Amino acid sequence: MDEPRSDFRRELEARGVSRREFMGFCSAMAVMFGLPKGATAMIADAIENKQKPTLVWLNFQDCAGNTESFLRASKPTAAEVILDLISIDYHEVIMAAAGHQAEANLHGVVENKKGQYIAVVEGSIPTGANGAYCTVGGKSALQTANEVCGNALATVCVGTCASFGGIPAASPNPTGALGVSDAVPGLKNLINLSACPVNAQNLTATLVYFLTYNRFPALDKLNRPLFAYGKSIHDNCERRAHYDSGQYVEQWGDEAHRDGHCLYKMGCKGPVSFQNCPNVGWNDNTSWPIACGHGCIGCAEPDFWDKMTPFYSHLPGFPGFGQGSNIDKIGFWATIGVTTAFAGHTLVHLTKKIAKSGRDHAPDGPPAATDASDQGGAE
Amino acid sequence: MTPPGATAAEAPARAHAGAVHPAHSSEMERVYVWDLVVRVSHWVIMLTTFILAVTGIYIGKPYLIADGPTDQFSIMGTMKVIHFYSAIIFTLAVFVRIGWMFVGSYYARWQQFVPMSPRRRRDVFGMLKFYSFFSSEPPLNVGHNPLAGMTYLAVFAIYLILIVTGVALYSISAVGYMSWFEWLVPVLGGAQTARWIHHLAMWFLLGFVAHHIWSAMLVSRIEGMGLIDSLFSGYKWLPKGWRNRDK
Repeated sequence: MDEPRSDFRRELEARGVSRREFMGFCSAMAVMFGLPKGATAMIADAIENKQKPTLVWLNFQDCAGNTESFLRASKPTAAEVILDLISIDYHEVIMAAAGHQAEANLHGVVENKKGQYIAVVEGSIPTGANGAYCTVGGKSALQTANEVCGNALATVCVGTCASFGGIPAASPNPTGALGVSDAVPGLKNLINLSACPVNAQNLTATLVYFLTYNRFPALDKLNRPLFAYGKSIHDNCERRAHYDSGQYVEQWGDEAHRDGHCLYKMGCKGPVSFQNCPNVGWNDNTSWPIACGHGCIGCAEPDFWDKMTPFYSHLPGFPGFGQGSNIDKIGFWATIGVTTAFAGHTLVHLTKKIAKSGRDHAPDGPPAATDASDQGGAE
Repeated sequence: MTPPGATAAEAPARAHAGAVHPAHSSEMERVYVWDLVVRVSHWVIMLTTFILAVTGIYIGKPYLIADGPTDQFSIMGTMKVIHFYSAIIFTLAVFVRIGWMFVGSYYARWQQFVPMSPRRRRDVFGMLKFYSFFSSEPPLNVGHNPLAGMTYLAVFAIYLILIVTGVALYSISAVGYMSWFEWLVPVLGGAQTARWIHHLAMWFLLGFVAHHIWSAMLVSRIEGMGLIDSLFSGYKWLPKGWRNRDK
């Protein structure tokens, strides 16, 4: 006990988190990123010794669900301690300061730590009515986002609302809501952690990665980290074997449902949604939607409220036929219709031909006779 | 391009060969119209379309349920494998046929699909008149009639939509070079939208198939030039004066 201990180790001890648990957390992070064993020590070193970045958390058009997800903890874990140690200078839900004092904190960060802090954004940014739908401290969300995210080292959008607009941006989008990347174009170091809400595990992992390597992990086309959004839900699903085999739930509560078969026919959007829910789970890996017997609703995808609905059918409806319409049913009957129409058409033609051949050899000449005019010049 | 056999030596013969419709002519001639690539690609596309539709409908709505232990069935797995291999053959056949539009024989060329000449543009309306009962005979065309050619352009567009959305959906789970196509997914508006377009395009194609079979039977019967036979043999029976009509 003589060796000098870092604040971080003292903090861990004070919280009752053992060194073993902490190293277990670091290995879990390394595994999550798909890094080799040696990375564990690097991650542990970075968390223990590097200066923790300052973080400001902005809430715009949201339900604070991502904050709830972030603050969830059944017991003090290594992840929680790490997040606590990250200096959160501004967070509307959990900060002690209020009013002008709170605003002063935010301005203090933007002015004094320009280009050094991380801005976490929760909620979409309304652009309608000149931004009047969401104002904090007399400033519209758009103004705040421009100022705070524009001067940040990096911007982390948590939740589908901040990433892509989410539910506030769903049709008909009365507030003109946009995700951060659309509302404030050209932000450097922007990362989207979509999902409704964000999985705290992925937020922690992203911050740990940033702390360790001073850059963001590899991103996909929608600026989401590949370690968390690189695979479809379907490809990692624990019920995948039932899908390939051909065992499907056909009604809620039927035998297949009780046996935990595939929810594909119940409208599960796992095949078209990307996240690591099957691997990391939710609530300390207690469970996740499909394990509970409910299909994926694709909450991490752009426009999921418009595109993934109806949640209990395979495909969206056909425009003009209503939300509950089934494109395959319409297509089937349209094909039958075309077949019938052309069958009728053909029959009429052939009947006419047969009737005509009966009274044929009429002297009115071939119908193509008028075409004789273009014989020479047509070429 | 000039139609095969239309040489200067035949110009005098052409002068008094009227544009007589086969239904009114007793003098018929056997003419090679569809080359091997056209015929083979046609039937390969037809066969793979059938397999793709049957397996695709199952993949969209699995109606067969495995009755027994999970590890002893692979209904969806088998359907998907058949779907993927058929899709590869289908895609190759479509690309070969599109390439053949530029290097193939006269009646395989793109000019058969885009009505470039005034006569072919006029025949579009001639065909429409025939289909809407305003005339009892379709205008004489050796290769595709111009209206059919234009329809096939739309059909090729449907093929390409199916191929692009299919490749995008495949790329999601692909390992290896096919995963490169994942950039298509956000371009198409997400995998769910790609899937919706894939279904919609399939129904358009099946609607076309219904129309195509009936029209082929109708036109074949009315023209009496052996249209359907020609897709096997390559030869059509044409009235002696055909060279003056089609170019």
